[in-house]
Amino acid sequence: MYELLGAGIANVLQWKYLLPLFFGTLAGVIGGALPGVTITMTIIVVLPFTFGLDPLQGLAAMTGVYVGGSAGGLVTAILLGLPGTPSAIATTFDGYPMARKGEPGRAIWLGVWASCFGGLLGGIFLIAATGPLARFALQFGPWEYFSLFILALSMVAGLVESSLLKGLLSGALGLIVTTLGGDPILGAPRLTLGIGAIEGGIQFLPVLIGVFAFAQIMSDVEKMGGAARVGEAVVRASTLAAAQLKVIWEILSRPFLLVWSSFIGVLIGVLPAIGGSAANIMAYDQAKKFSKHPERFGKGTPEGLIASESANNANVGGSLVTIMAFGIPGDAVTAVMLGALTIHGIQSGPLFILQNAELAYGIFAAYLIAHPLMVIILGLGARWMIGIVTVPKAALFPVVLVLCVIGAYALNNTMANVYVLAAFGLLGYAMVKFGFPLAPFILGVILGDQIEINLIRAIMSDPSPWLFVTRPISGALLALSVASIIAALWQHRRHQKRAAAATGDDADF
Amino acid sequence: MIGRDGWAGLVLLGMCAVLYALTLELKGNPLVPIGPAFYPRIVLAISAVLAALLVVADVLAQRALRPGARGREGPRPNYRLVTLTFAVFGVYVVALPYLGFRVATVLFVAALAVLLEPPRNAKAWAKVLLLAFVATAATYLVFEHYLTVLLPRGKWTGW
Repeated sequence: MYELLGAGIANVLQWKYLLPLFFGTLAGVIGGALPGVTITMTIIVVLPFTFGLDPLQGLAAMTGVYVGGSAGGLVTAILLGLPGTPSAIATTFDGYPMARKGEPGRAIWLGVWASCFGGLLGGIFLIAATGPLARFALQFGPWEYFSLFILALSMVAGLVESSLLKGLLSGALGLIVTTLGGDPILGAPRLTLGIGAIEGGIQFLPVLIGVFAFAQIMSDVEKMGGAARVGEAVVRASTLAAAQLKVIWEILSRPFLLVWSSFIGVLIGVLPAIGGSAANIMAYDQAKKFSKHPERFGKGTPEGLIASESANNANVGGSLVTIMAFGIPGDAVTAVMLGALTIHGIQSGPLFILQNAELAYGIFAAYLIAHPLMVIILGLGARWMIGIVTVPKAALFPVVLVLCVIGAYALNNTMANVYVLAAFGLLGYAMVKFGFPLAPFILGVILGDQIEINLIRAIMSDPSPWLFVTRPISGALLALSVASIIAALWQHRRHQKRAAAATGDDADF
Repeated sequence: MIGRDGWAGLVLLGMCAVLYALTLELKGNPLVPIGPAFYPRIVLAISAVLAALLVVADVLAQRALRPGARGREGPRPNYRLVTLTFAVFGVYVVALPYLGFRVATVLFVAALAVLLEPPRNAKAWAKVLLLAFVATAATYLVFEHYLTVLLPRGKWTGW
């Protein structure tokens, strides 16, 4: 393992890999710093640039986007009080007050180094856990894969905040999309609705690009026309310098906080579709609960900043584990990475690390090297990021949409994928307006074919449906699916009761 | 009385019914005893049940709604701008194979930038045109020359 990792690092340190990694990290940092532009949108924009690259170059660039984007949100969170990404929300709680108290440099560097250390701890987990988990997954037959995919879908559907029913329906809608166009077993046309372009089935990348890009852009467009106010910058041309060793010591002298927050980040990253937004808030909440001085939270305490930033970068490591060991994307960003693997003809799943060890360890190496690159980029460029965030959306959105079109078109050099992009862009926006979560839908689209293939294989091997329940791993996974749905129902009911109680309290006044 | 979720559920129910009817036309294959309609029918049946539950839940929620209860107040979304943005994008997608990437993209970027933030003076117009030409030229050069992605050529323009 260490030889492969060493070889991977030596490989990625070559200019042909280091440059895509650097530019990916830079794009991630800028995308993360731009309020309203998520890491998902940044990786969608970067995707078409990776088509002409070799697999490791492309995946190094995407890993850089993921790492850079997870940290980039801290710049505007600290200097403007406006989180660049949802994964930097908790960073504003203490970062902005610290900056307002006249310590913007300390706040920025605490965030940058906490991101770096948290990310590297997540990297240790990524490297150590992927191989054993993939070997464990090799024991899986079609019954276990089917049950694993059902677990992933039910967890994602159950974790959405709005409504379990809508989450499940959204996942089911994603599965329906995969039934349109082609039968994955024989490749025969099926439910084509008379549209010749989808006879071979619908590729998931144009669907993903359309749904996410349009849902986000149109949600911003509908707010345009008013006076959008950006938070007051607490730093103009003043220095963001800080005593580096002192800042690093401030973080490392709190080892429990760093390790615990990173652990929360990794754990949430492993679970599909929860993401950095939950990781940073949960880690912040835990840090406050464990702190000897919880009253200092929200007033510029370094603990809050360290917890939030270490968790959201460790989350990346956890997310990469699920895609590399099981072939299940943990979130939209890894879903795009999965698409990039497919474009290069690489099969994801447990065999990935065994059959493509050089590529897998190259990704690990890119992940590790992206962290010091992120520190350098943020260290040198944090002040300039404030200028970048003022780029008008009227200039940004047309360019992003053009890149989305290129991303869809370049998959097969056909306009059919562009039409799919436009159609699903419309659907994605409609889903947002009707309160349907997008994450289960996308996971349904990604996993649909695999669910069908494994279901048919299982039934053709042995027609008894009881095997799904009686085989130990499959049965345990299905039991976990049911448990996740019950837990979601219980949580939703408790939330409703609390909301009703709060309304009742309000009525008394 | 039916609300937003109820309408969404009804639309999904209708879609499931239509697709289910289409699966009845699918023929099996002797090589695979489980035909191509087997899985879609399961998915459609589950979706239909969930959609029906959504309709029922919405009807019950509407009944439980206190009279006079209002939706959340807030700034009205600018749906006119959203519709026009979709329309401009739609025209771009349709025009791409006819005008080619370079011509269609210049027009699209300029049109959308003007739509989202109408220029108020000559300098702003110049910025829009600069954005349109620079964005098109940069993407064309990067993708065609460095990343070997062949972008669409126009049937009418040859570009």
